[in-house]
Amino acid sequence: MQIDFMILPDLWVDRYADMLYRYAFVRINDNGIAEDIVQETFLSAWRAKETFKGQTSEKNWLYAICKNKIIDYFRKKAGNISKPALAEEDNYFDEKEHWREEPAPKAWGANYQHKIETKEFFSVFELCKKKLKDTQQIVFVMKYMEDMEADKICEVLNITPSNYWVLIHRSKLHLRSCLEKNWLKI
Amino acid sequence: MLNKLLEMSCKKATFLASKKEENKISFIEGIKLKFHYKICESCKRFDEQTKCIGKNAPHLHQHTNMVLRAEKKQQLKELIELQK
Repeated sequence: MQIDFMILPDLWVDRYADMLYRYAFVRINDNGIAEDIVQETFLSAWRAKETFKGQTSEKNWLYAICKNKIIDYFRKKAGNISKPALAEEDNYFDEKEHWREEPAPKAWGANYQHKIETKEFFSVFELCKKKLKDTQQIVFVMKYMEDMEADKICEVLNITPSNYWVLIHRSKLHLRSCLEKNWLKI
Repeated sequence: MLNKLLEMSCKKATFLASKKEENKISFIEGIKLKFHYKICESCKRFDEQTKCIGKNAPHLHQHTNMVLRAEKKQQLKELIELQK
């Protein structure tokens, strides 16, 4: 039995297209580009099928290719957007850099951790992530969704570490605040 | 006196929260941050809530029913067939 080594390209679309599409869409927020990524994933996989030796499942192998396509897309995209301005208007903190009363984080109530695993949270999260500036969105996805290290992210996006920390800080401030305003009120 | 020494702004504390996740803060910054959380409920919440968001972010695609368009699927099948 050589079942471990088997790949079945004829079944790829039926088995994995939706899965890969969701994965890409959540990270990229664009239908067309997510579709392109799925297509490139299958084509690259086809070309590399001789190298598949069953070290991993067919599914995880396709996921890995898809992840690489997403990172490549971010690399290209980061090259095309002007470097982020470090100074940004600050509505969260007062002149002493302490929280202003209105934007200060409020208690999210008991069990909010469980409420995150729902469709309602997902739709608000999508909305809030879309509101982030491009580079903020990209660093958030690379760090928190792709679990990449700071050094690697800086290298891929060609930004300095200090730039990176500012972007991560900003993305967290905006996302958290947007979720608090929109999700908890559902 | 000690308070003065350990003082840190909320902007700085929320900034350092991310660096701490990757062990990129100094010993002194770590102590200051811990002290800050003891006196600042808002920053403590910020840290807990954003960690929770980050922890769940990788699995978000499992909470959607989105599907790829049928026409695109057909197109992909034909494309794969063409490679043969």
